[in-house]
Amino acid sequence: MPSRERTRTAGIAWDPGPRPTDHGPLGGRHERPDARAKVAGSTRYVADLALPGMLHAALAVSPVPSARLAGLEFAAARAVDGVEAVLTASDIPGRNQVGVVFPDQPLLVEDRVRMVGDRLALVAARTPEAAWEASRLVRPLLEELPAVHDPVAALRPGASPVHEGGNLIRTFKVVRGDITRESARAEVVVEAEYQIGGQEHAYLEPQACLAIPEARERITIITSCQCPFYVQQAVARVLGLPLAAVRVEQAPTGGGFGGKEDYPSEPAACAAVLAFVTGKPVRLVLPRELDMQASTKRHAVVVRHRWGADRDGQLCFAEVETVMDAGAYIGLSTVVAERANASSIGPYRVPAVLVATHVAYTNNLFGGAFRGFGAPQVTWAAEATMDGLARRLGMDPLELRRRNVLDDRRRTLCTGQRFPGPVLARECLDRAAALAGWDEFHGRPRADSGPLREGMGIGLVLYGCNLHHGGQRLDRSSAVVILQPDGSVVVRVGLTEMGQGNLAAAQTIAAQALGVDPAVVQVWQPDTTTVGDSGPTVASRGAHMSGLAILDAVRRLRTRLDPVAAELLGCRANEVELAGSLASVRGNPERTVPVARVASEMAARRIEAIATGWHRTRPRRFDPETGIGAPYEFYAIACQIARVKVDADLGLIRVEEVSAAHDVGRVIHRDAMEGQIQGGIVQGMGWAISEELKLDHGRLANPSFTDYVIPTAADAPKVRITVVESEGASGPFGAKGVGEPSLIPTAAAVRNAVCDALGVEIDRLPLTPPTVVAALGDRHPFAWLLSERRVDEHGRLATVDRDG
Amino acid sequence: MTERLTVTLTLNGERRTFEVPPGRRLLDLLRDDAGLTGSKEGCGAGECGACTVLLDGVPVTSCLVLAASADGHEVVTVEGLLQAGRLHPFQDSLVTRGGVQCGFCTPGIAVTGAAILARREADPSEQARLLSGNLCRCTGYTKVIDALRDSFAKGGHAKS
Repeated sequence: MPSRERTRTAGIAWDPGPRPTDHGPLGGRHERPDARAKVAGSTRYVADLALPGMLHAALAVSPVPSARLAGLEFAAARAVDGVEAVLTASDIPGRNQVGVVFPDQPLLVEDRVRMVGDRLALVAARTPEAAWEASRLVRPLLEELPAVHDPVAALRPGASPVHEGGNLIRTFKVVRGDITRESARAEVVVEAEYQIGGQEHAYLEPQACLAIPEARERITIITSCQCPFYVQQAVARVLGLPLAAVRVEQAPTGGGFGGKEDYPSEPAACAAVLAFVTGKPVRLVLPRELDMQASTKRHAVVVRHRWGADRDGQLCFAEVETVMDAGAYIGLSTVVAERANASSIGPYRVPAVLVATHVAYTNNLFGGAFRGFGAPQVTWAAEATMDGLARRLGMDPLELRRRNVLDDRRRTLCTGQRFPGPVLARECLDRAAALAGWDEFHGRPRADSGPLREGMGIGLVLYGCNLHHGGQRLDRSSAVVILQPDGSVVVRVGLTEMGQGNLAAAQTIAAQALGVDPAVVQVWQPDTTTVGDSGPTVASRGAHMSGLAILDAVRRLRTRLDPVAAELLGCRANEVELAGSLASVRGNPERTVPVARVASEMAARRIEAIATGWHRTRPRRFDPETGIGAPYEFYAIACQIARVKVDADLGLIRVEEVSAAHDVGRVIHRDAMEGQIQGGIVQGMGWAISEELKLDHGRLANPSFTDYVIPTAADAPKVRITVVESEGASGPFGAKGVGEPSLIPTAAAVRNAVCDALGVEIDRLPLTPPTVVAALGDRHPFAWLLSERRVDEHGRLATVDRDG
Repeated sequence: MTERLTVTLTLNGERRTFEVPPGRRLLDLLRDDAGLTGSKEGCGAGECGACTVLLDGVPVTSCLVLAASADGHEVVTVEGLLQAGRLHPFQDSLVTRGGVQCGFCTPGIAVTGAAILARREADPSEQARLLSGNLCRCTGYTKVIDALRDSFAKGGHAKS
């Protein structure tokens, strides 16, 4: 008997139940609904949209990181042919404020510049060329002020304040167990300080939006983004409009990775102000250089560790102190720090834990959301320390992890929360190790002469799915399902497609729940007038939260659909089953009627064939002072093992292969899931070895794809994937998020593999050739030459003047 | 009145004439004058490959080509890869092998892949090298490369 039938629990959602035994689309590889249009070039991104009379926006920005703005001269800008408006802070109709969490950021600078790229004026012109030319002719009168660029120095007394009230934004903690007793018990202790660099999202489509005003009454924004609701709130604020007068439609979005979570509110607010003042549609597309300079980044952090274990390799205690460089505005930095804080220990059982995560203002690039959201940095540090402990203990790094990972018996996380559901850390470790051939690799002799060295390393991650306790007020989602008279289905969800496959996931889930072919389900991108505020598409929550809202909508739709089907079938409504595009009678598969026939009958009888759905996560207990409680609803675990070749002379790393074992609960769409893992690994690898944000007094010195090096097809490692499925996760059909766990452990695995290859410890990321060569020290064949150089504070080699 | 140049080219098999200012980029001619928005601008500096088109059969980043220099030449854009409304074999493989995510790099990748097939370049590392001018931040390239091999195996090189 098909197990499709599910019972309701607590009125929130359907019980995911056992795996369906019928041939539904769940876990399959059917075509993604957006693929054909995209591959044909017919998908319209924002820059592909134009309206009659449309103006093009440009921004005049600060070239210096810290200054008082004494005035602006823009006569020359206004004189450029085609310019229709040059606006400053005083022209903003509503409030001059765009910060998503904390009101510390103006849309346009009024008096104080705090970072390179701070907006000074807005320009609208009839061509983009005229707009950008005019923006360069806006002359700011800037009186430079002292700036601070080192987040650790920013927290010292006397550091120049970025905002009034000092540079320490907040400290998060986890305090649990008796550190004094446990550190006395430890027989092996590793102390380290890790310098971990930031990362640029490098989505292929730059930030872009189109604002279409209707007098000064209301406005439509079409934008590339991960959260139309954030954009709606920001635009309503700067225009002084009620939320209902701001309609935000998510355009097809050419990559996000967190870079289009909060930041799109800023360009959208700029375009909205220009559109309101000029009364014309305004399109803003950021040039790549400005996009890279001004938009948010993965945070650069400094992590200090003191971890100890006994002789058997059982962890006794872990002390972690992290300083996170927020840049000039808070943005989402406190939220990122919350996740970093809770993720600092990884999937390990540690009796005593002391974690402190400080968030510091500086005059640097502006930190924000980036796939992993603070977890990749602290995971890199934790996995580096685990390898350090293994080395001191003379123990296999895999065995050390096996001894310390959480399992079904020892399931208490560092925050005191009991891990909900099966704990699959050891399964992930063992399956990744088997896939990578860990034992064989470490069992065979390795060449240690000649420049090419081989190594293998592990990265393990514990990822809290959905939003942290601190953001749980946003953790809800909305869906709308409409059964059309011809049996096709419209689905709207409040969460967005940015490439990851949310349309495919929503389509699969709706098709599975309605028992129809995915091809008849059309999922449309969200618009703030058609679905409720569902929060941002982040935290690997897209498929999960969309899916549960869709299941709720389908449940409500079936209260009207099932009676009609029952009448056609001659059975009771509670006997109706939907599968294989048919409605059938439970226990009597011979009696069927097509779902499409039920749909036409509903239309003929004028029965409401639209249903809304809603899902919210359950409230949890958490103490923000001690970090004790349940920061997340549930967790996913992943293990990745990297095999690398390192040219020890040149410091060049080639990642040959990454073997990945992921605890995903249930696969929804197999190609989308694999695509997430493959893409996350390559993005994590880029962060690990080649992507370096070179800062020169707060200015990004390498804002281009020539100088900021992301992986190409020629760099892609072979990726092997094994999926660890399990029962009972709370997502739709038991699914868990996979978008971020795919990236988080990669850089750690690569770092550990490189250290294994070279027999040295590396305490900074990225592992660029100079960093690798410097780590080799005296063991580098050209050490005599390098001794005449030094490594500067950014990990770059600088030649020292012999006489100087 | 600014100076205009007359540019006549074969665009996706059709002879077309445009009047353009001397500094106009081929990418702008395609997107703004010809209304072919399939070619994307990701960087404007010839780095990302999203604007790749075939100029006399050779993949070029159209953001670095002056429109005037295409005068008398043949240009094929992603829209021109379709034949009688059917996807090119590589485009079809990208769809069936899951090689499309956000889609912004996809038109450029489709064009480069079609050129690789036309060259009958079957060596995997050479294929990867030829694709390395097209950045993709979503897929990690695995499924793109799978799609290329797949379309090769299905004889896509013979049809292109």
